Amino acid sequence: MFRYLPEQASEMAPKVDWIHNVITDLSVFFTVAIVGSMIYFAIRYREKPGRRHDTPQIEGSHALELIWTIVPTIICIFIGYYSVAYYRELRAVPEHALTINAWGQKWKWDFQYTDGIKREVTGEMVVPVGQPIKVVLRSRDVLHSFFIPSMRVKSDALPGKFTYVSFTPVKTGTYQAFCTEYCGKDHSAMLAKVKVVSQDEYARWSNDDSEQKMKGRVSPEERGKLLYQQKGCNACHALSDTKIVGPSWFKLFGRQGKFTDGTAYKADENYIEESIYNPNLHIVEGYAPNQMPAYTGQLSKDDIGDLIAFIKTIDGSNASAAPVAAVAVAVDLEKMSPVERGKYYYENKLCKTCHSLDGSPLVGPSLKGSYGRTVKLADGSEVVSDDAYLKESILAPMAKVVAGYPPAMPAGLLTEKEIPDLIEFLKTVK
Amino acid sequence: MSGQHNSGQGEASTGEPKNYLNWDTSIWGWLTTVDHKRIALMYLFSILIFFFVGGLAALIMRTELMHAGGQFLTPQQYNVMFTLHGALMIFLFVVPGIPATMGNFLLPLMIGAKDVAFPKLNLISYYIYVAGALIACFALMNPLDQWADTGWTFYAPYSIESGGSVVLMTFAAFVLGFSSILTGLNFVVTIHKLRAPGMTWDRLPVFVWATYATAVIQTLATPVVGITLLLLIMERLFGVGVFDPKLGGDPVLYEHFFWFYSHPVVYIMVLPAFGVVGEIIPVFSRKPIFGYKAVVYASIAIAAVGFLVWAHHMFVAGISDYSAIYFSVITFGVAIPTAVKVFNWVSTMYKGSIRFTTPMLYAMGFVFLFMIAGTTGIYLAVLAVDVYYHDTYFVVAHFHYTIQGGAVIGLMAALYFWFPKMTGKMYNDTVGKIAWVFVFVGFNLTFLPQFKLGMMGMPRRYFDYLPEFESLHTVSTYGAFLNAFGYTFALVNLLYAWIFSKRKASENPWESLSLEWKTPSPPPHDNFTEPVIVTEWTYGYGTPVEGGKH
Repeated sequence: MFRYLPEQASEMAPKVDWIHNVITDLSVFFTVAIVGSMIYFAIRYREKPGRRHDTPQIEGSHALELIWTIVPTIICIFIGYYSVAYYRELRAVPEHALTINAWGQKWKWDFQYTDGIKREVTGEMVVPVGQPIKVVLRSRDVLHSFFIPSMRVKSDALPGKFTYVSFTPVKTGTYQAFCTEYCGKDHSAMLAKVKVVSQDEYARWSNDDSEQKMKGRVSPEERGKLLYQQKGCNACHALSDTKIVGPSWFKLFGRQGKFTDGTAYKADENYIEESIYNPNLHIVEGYAPNQMPAYTGQLSKDDIGDLIAFIKTIDGSNASAAPVAAVAVAVDLEKMSPVERGKYYYENKLCKTCHSLDGSPLVGPSLKGSYGRTVKLADGSEVVSDDAYLKESILAPMAKVVAGYPPAMPAGLLTEKEIPDLIEFLKTVK
Repeated sequence: MSGQHNSGQGEASTGEPKNYLNWDTSIWGWLTTVDHKRIALMYLFSILIFFFVGGLAALIMRTELMHAGGQFLTPQQYNVMFTLHGALMIFLFVVPGIPATMGNFLLPLMIGAKDVAFPKLNLISYYIYVAGALIACFALMNPLDQWADTGWTFYAPYSIESGGSVVLMTFAAFVLGFSSILTGLNFVVTIHKLRAPGMTWDRLPVFVWATYATAVIQTLATPVVGITLLLLIMERLFGVGVFDPKLGGDPVLYEHFFWFYSHPVVYIMVLPAFGVVGEIIPVFSRKPIFGYKAVVYASIAIAAVGFLVWAHHMFVAGISDYSAIYFSVITFGVAIPTAVKVFNWVSTMYKGSIRFTTPMLYAMGFVFLFMIAGTTGIYLAVLAVDVYYHDTYFVVAHFHYTIQGGAVIGLMAALYFWFPKMTGKMYNDTVGKIAWVFVFVGFNLTFLPQFKLGMMGMPRRYFDYLPEFESLHTVSTYGAFLNAFGYTFALVNLLYAWIFSKRKASENPWESLSLEWKTPSPPPHDNFTEPVIVTEWTYGYGTPVEGGKH
């Protein structure tokens, strides 16, 4: 009766639930027995209207008092034994436990990992299944409490000292964690997820340093170089002294010239920032307008700082113009489905820089519903967007330009082998 | 004190016998009275105001929680509401609760005394309560968003840095503490010194014993919370650094101090209710209370052991594993005397002649609710299970079964039982029973779903919740409205009877053997018309039988 505890996802959960359910059954039994006797007595010995019956003057019974003192005592000793025994198991930390530091702060949880790549993630704790975990808790401000119902663990996080919870997850899945010590306005929004993954997946995750490279551990110049590649700058801006769609970045910093409106410019920090956030405000002489999308929201001020740092290195003094080494991204393309691979290409091969998925036109037409639709071209003819058309648009983008868009797309962004996967993905974008 | 009572000539002409109500009906006569019965009534009306306001705060919270997502409050306003609900209900309603109202009224009557030992101190206690209440109200003069938002527990360091009016609210609780201490002191001395000839310790009614145990706790535990709250105020105003880790303090120390009082205070709330039930069941079963001595010892044991278990509120607060084990084991020590009491109440009804009056229904409802309160307390004493349940809705449901199912239902039972004595009028028993059904059904509908919410892992003090918790919250909100309607109905029934009822209560309408029923209803100013000499036990109901005596 009354078995409403959530999924048992830790090694201790079945034990905690067992003693919990024993208490439930005993409680139900005694409540029914005592309240039942009370109701039975109340009905059996009720006073008939106006006729009071004789009642015996019983003042008590030593035997009964003894029984109902001793029986609850025995039950309490029995339950008390498990109270202590299971608590000690719950608090015991195996020697080879994986330690994760959890920081509570109004109103979020940060998890710090020291195994694998050192990192701090917010709101989601990833742990390997079958591995004993020790979460060391600390608060950055007021009291918080870290509660994972499915693991049956909870402990307050204090600002003054370390506390911990320890558990061994036995099932993969995503479990809810709550803050259970009132901590102010958004206490009820101080939630986190505990993601239990296979040992392999955890190893991959904990050694995946791509994100780390993007943050802090690399110099601004290196990071700028990565952004140059990842954000698609390289599609239109060469690092050697050649002209693609846009001006080259070779010896860009400090360069002087004229805009199409006749005014002069000097390529300093403000110029670069303006060119990224508001590319069509001023166009360099000899280039067409409306080629470059605004990167507002895609590149932060910090990112621009890094790009500038990178641009400063392209001064012809060293080998900086050499091609950038491929970014080590821990993705296993082989294991992905064609659609997943296609999506990966869309996101990582620059397509997204100019083509949206939500129907809004950027530099190029949106890819929403692109497969199978009829397209009106710049020369007035119409063509159905099928495999052949899409393939041609990628390999030779200037062959057929859609009406209303500039002829701006560089060729060779995808290899022939990659195109079918991208098309599979496009079929899903409706 | 007799020198003060020379007014009230106007009433003489009505020909009504003089009683404590018509002795001196001027406002001044009431405000300066040192009559324990009048002070009891003033307390009663005062605490019921805060019962009403606290209940309103609860309904606002429950309405907000009826559906997932924000309804009509902001998170901050919600936090303010549960703080207001907790602080008003605890410090201004339930802690004074039965002792200050029924205790004040009945204690001298039950032991055959003219008044409490220190009547003027009793009046001072009342005005200290009023002062504390006014300070609390003053704290509410701020805009809603600046009310205290810490929860009634005022945990540091949140309470140190919160922008709400924490200083005023804690200062109110600090002041109210003195009212409680002085009342407790007064009662202890009264019971020791003012018992009528023949009223030996083993003849005392169980309500007096319960009040005695309560008074000891009030006197000994309340100073600790007073000091704690004062330190908290010092911390906020001057940064003395007792609780704030940034200044070298320890927030866990605050929790220890706070619960050193606030656990025993649970017994300040429920022990008097145990006493009330112990009086009502024998009268309506026409049988002696079963196991008088066991019932009395159990009250004393609960009060004593209650001092040693405070940190069971802190099993996951970062205390050492060994102290957690100690506090868990000792906590079971409270379960046993509580179980003994329940067994004795039910056995009292065995072979009785049972009358279903409204107070008897409240007493029986109390036994049922307290069984649930007690058994769910076992889960929370068990360390491995409490780790799961701590600060979830299971705890919320558990303590509402204890405090509302215990103390408030106990107060309702007491009001319905002693109303004829207090007012000299009879109420409509049928209406009382109908109202009881609303209270009982509404209460269970509110809090039974909360046990299930707790089992599912729903944390307390949450403005918003995950979708899987919604349906139970909705049911709970319906229950809360039913419950509130029930209390209003039940209290209006009494108020109506007092003002409009033509039915006069006799001296002893329930045919009780207790002393307070051996004087007119309502009692005269000096309680008894003749000197009281006690010659027998309070519970000699029924016909003597072989082997019945113990």
